[in-house]
Amino acid sequence: MIEVQNLSFARGNHLILKNVNLQVRAGEVMILRGPNGHGKTTLLSNITKMIEPLEGAIFYQGEEVDDYIASKTFLFIGENSFAFDQLTLDQNIDYWLAIHNVKFSKSIREQSIQFLFQGVNLKKKYYQLSFGQKKKLQLLLLMLVNKPVWILDDPFNGLDVDSINKITTLIIKKKQNNGIVIIATHQNPSIQELKFYEM
Amino acid sequence: MINNFFKLIKNEFHLMIKGSVFSFILFCLLVISSTIFALALRHVSFEIEIPMSFLWIMMFFISLIKVEKVYQSEFSESKLQQYMLSPFSLEVVIFIKNIFIYLNLIILFIIFSPFLLIILNIELSYFIPINLLLSLSLLSIVFISSITSSLTISKNNRLSITSVLTLPLFIPILIFSMALTDVIEFSGNKMYLFFVAYFLLNLAFSPLLTSFALKKLSI
Repeated sequence: MIEVQNLSFARGNHLILKNVNLQVRAGEVMILRGPNGHGKTTLLSNITKMIEPLEGAIFYQGEEVDDYIASKTFLFIGENSFAFDQLTLDQNIDYWLAIHNVKFSKSIREQSIQFLFQGVNLKKKYYQLSFGQKKKLQLLLLMLVNKPVWILDDPFNGLDVDSINKITTLIIKKKQNNGIVIIATHQNPSIQELKFYEM
Repeated sequence: MINNFFKLIKNEFHLMIKGSVFSFILFCLLVISSTIFALALRHVSFEIEIPMSFLWIMMFFISLIKVEKVYQSEFSESKLQQYMLSPFSLEVVIFIKNIFIYLNLIILFIIFSPFLLIILNIELSYFIPINLLLSLSLLSIVFISSITSSLTISKNNRLSITSVLTLPLFIPILIFSMALTDVIEFSGNKMYLFFVAYFLLNLAFSPLLTSFALKKLSI
């Protein structure tokens, strides 16, 4: 379970989050909703310990989240692409799976790559890919990085129906496997029993 | 983990190769500026210290520019988010990147140095001491530059002037490099050991400071 207790965050003199309290249990998907600029991404960054809150704490399984717990627990997929433009898609896949210490066998990796990048030339430079194709690298991490909590910042943005369905399927599977998913989005994914938090 | 660590190194090597074009351009500019320097002072007779100091200062600026460029493109917010939640600590990633920046610069310098020595009218017998001096001093320069760059590129750092704080760290390298150019003959001079010691000191604190600056100021 993830528990956010009395979390406040300020940038300079501007208070962005004030006394946020929320709980997400294993097997739950929480959607953070709210207009732009209301601190959804900031809240996600706070949960993953990428930024320090002004007040309050975040707990995972009863333990306060520190850098070590965060790196073991959270998989964060942000809005922007993190890949290297100058590398090929193949090299990028290799790099980011290595960074996340993915230990799956070569055949599972190959199958996952095939599932997402069917028909895409893996030797293409990353900057030559379309926005949707670039986003699929992030989906590959969802498939292969084994972490209990997914933190997704606007994951459906710019994707075609097929890719949205693939993400939704992955999220449903994660939910069935008792994982936790926290999503900041303006869309309503077609997943049953969602929890909502209005910002 | 070890397997993935080696994959990480392999891919950092790929990134270094891709980034070589930029370094090559910097070295071409070094050749041009060395030519202008030599032409401007063609009627003046001077000791080896002057062209050596020129080379050293140019290499110092080249490494600053190179580190800045690499950090700007490879530690953008989205990449940093992934590094921070990776099982490899950010310090390890910084260390590997710095080593590859260093290798990129020093390999190019070794390739370019015979031409530079000819242009600057330095005897070719100084090839080894000059390369030794620059390869040892550059190691620390790259690691200190990484702290400077992490402060400069941080989007939450409203006082860019804070990067000036790292300037005193370069001064010992400058002093010892200049002292060594006075006794440029390579005869197992113990002053070279200073660079090794200073690098080890840098190795201890610079990845920590760089990652601290990136984590606290960039997201």
